[in-house]
Amino acid sequence: MTEQETPVTELEAPVAELDQQVPTGSESSRRKFMIRVMTILGGAIAAVLAIPVVGFITAPGWQSKTPHKLLSTSVAPTLRSNEWTSIGKVADFEVGVPKYVVVDRNIVDGWVVESAPIGIQVVRMTDADVVVFDPHCTHLGCPLTWSTGAEAFVCPCHGGSFKSTGEVVSGPPPRPMLRYETKTEGDEVFIGTFVAEGA
Amino acid sequence: MHRVQRWIDERLNVTPIVRAFLDRKVPGNIGWAHTLGSATLFLLIVQVATGIALSMSYVPSPDHAYDSILFIDQTPFGSVVRGVHHWSAGLLVLLIGLHTLRVFIWGAHRYPRELTWLVGAGLFFIVLGFAFTGYLLPWDQKAYWATVVGTNVAGSAPVIGGSILEFLRGGEQLGAVTLARFYGIHVWVLPASLLILVGIHLFGVIRQGIAASPRRRPLVAPDPGLSRRAAYDLEYAAEKQAGDPFWTSLVKDAIVAAVLLAFVVFLAVAQGAPLDGQANPNSTDYVPRPEWYFLDMFQLLWYFTGGLEPLLIFGIFTVGAVIFILVPFLDRGQARHPRQRPIAMGLTAVVVAGIIGLTWLGAAGTPAGVVKIPATAGMTQAQLDGLAVFNAQGCTACHEINGLGGHTGPGLSKAGFRWSREDMKTQIQTPKDQKMPAYDGLPPAELDTLLTYLESLK
Repeated sequence: MTEQETPVTELEAPVAELDQQVPTGSESSRRKFMIRVMTILGGAIAAVLAIPVVGFITAPGWQSKTPHKLLSTSVAPTLRSNEWTSIGKVADFEVGVPKYVVVDRNIVDGWVVESAPIGIQVVRMTDADVVVFDPHCTHLGCPLTWSTGAEAFVCPCHGGSFKSTGEVVSGPPPRPMLRYETKTEGDEVFIGTFVAEGA
Repeated sequence: MHRVQRWIDERLNVTPIVRAFLDRKVPGNIGWAHTLGSATLFLLIVQVATGIALSMSYVPSPDHAYDSILFIDQTPFGSVVRGVHHWSAGLLVLLIGLHTLRVFIWGAHRYPRELTWLVGAGLFFIVLGFAFTGYLLPWDQKAYWATVVGTNVAGSAPVIGGSILEFLRGGEQLGAVTLARFYGIHVWVLPASLLILVGIHLFGVIRQGIAASPRRRPLVAPDPGLSRRAAYDLEYAAEKQAGDPFWTSLVKDAIVAAVLLAFVVFLAVAQGAPLDGQANPNSTDYVPRPEWYFLDMFQLLWYFTGGLEPLLIFGIFTVGAVIFILVPFLDRGQARHPRQRPIAMGLTAVVVAGIIGLTWLGAAGTPAGVVKIPATAGMTQAQLDGLAVFNAQGCTACHEINGLGGHTGPGLSKAGFRWSREDMKTQIQTPKDQKMPAYDGLPPAELDTLLTYLESLK
């Protein structure tokens, strides 16, 4: 420690001094010009950097096909597959009784392309008609379970419930349960992608 | 020591700056409440240090994330580091809230510190962003389902909801892409923003000096001829005249930091960091439930149903956030003392009570669905059977008995006193009210014992 006392300097802003010491005359216009050129160059550099960086980060946002969550299938977090997947035979399901099954599907999750177990709720409506639901509440995506007593799919989060036909019975869900496209070949049932809203 | 200091000083000449920083006068009455800001900063530093350590052994991929967390917990000090990161994250949310509250009550957001508030509000949202993105990283059940719900809440925004949701998830579904994004946001985007905003925030605090404690009457008699800046400078100079050097308040900050660290280290050693089972997108019985600091928002979702929900929810969240950011431009005027701002203080009390109340309700009401009502002494066999039916049918999702269960439907603690057996039977089988699903599929024997149980609740 040096012996001499250093005077305490003020760190707080002396606002009036900010405008002092600005050059005048031709020096001033040259200074203005230089600062302007530097600002424009700096802005251009920042923009060139920002376009790919911000563009890359936000791509999923502006690429999104669905304008509004309520109308989209995005409420379900379920991993998607573009293929038809067999879920068993029609006879495996009892008429009117929902059955929870987990089937292996070839999913695409970014760079991950693999076979993954996907849970579905299968309801055989009539002898020939099989409907397959995604087991997530259309409110906020909480997991639905079939309650035999209530004869309803119930959500544990905010009290939403659905009939076996997927229609909303109670609570905040804004729309019926999400359905998969289905097709039957012989007596075997396949699921495809989600049925788009209104279909 | 002195020689080293002299050697450095001959090259960098830092001593005058350090002395000016430590010896500058600050207003008097700098009490314990003022340590909240430095405590928040301290916890941020703790988070950065422990977070860097964790990133050395963590892999942001659904295949490995959970296992890498298990590995961390088995490595020496691993569970302590992760525990400190977890517990101090919660404490950080609490402290940044208290710090904000202190600043508002003191009126310290007033001229000339509006910008410091704006930056601080940004920091508040960054901390919430950290909490939300940090959640998902362990890839356990809580992480997965809280993120499902959280991204869907964000997706409820009018018009741009779908874009926000897909921006957050990196697509429609929640998987590997989402986890990598959340990791990138958690360890790069947010820390970088944090660093910049903390820098500006502290720069503002030092340049303007710490706000003086509010006085009912100013030290200097107001002179209407002076500009706002001149009048402020005069008053602040008088405050500093009556104040103390900055270094006198530093020990308090250090004590608070030490106590906080002791607290989180104790929790980390005693409890470690919680970890659910590995994320299972196919589980059907998991009840998603957020950390305590998001429970208030989660609870709000109970009260808004129907088509207006997204608008109401987003209205509350967005309008609330905008009001919070714009506080210095809404709450203006000369008087800073809380007693001279009854409306502002009243509104603050309402908001604080609302947050505490919703959090409490959320904590008491969830986890709905899986809550089982315990049997009590002296119950008959029929009542016990009825209780089993009650628990098995998930009635607790909406109905509360003696404090356990949800609040969508009426509480049933005194069901037998309030309703007749016949009324309850009708209500269960053919509810008048659309909110309750009809339990008309119950076998008669089960319905009978259920009614016996409900009748016994008086």
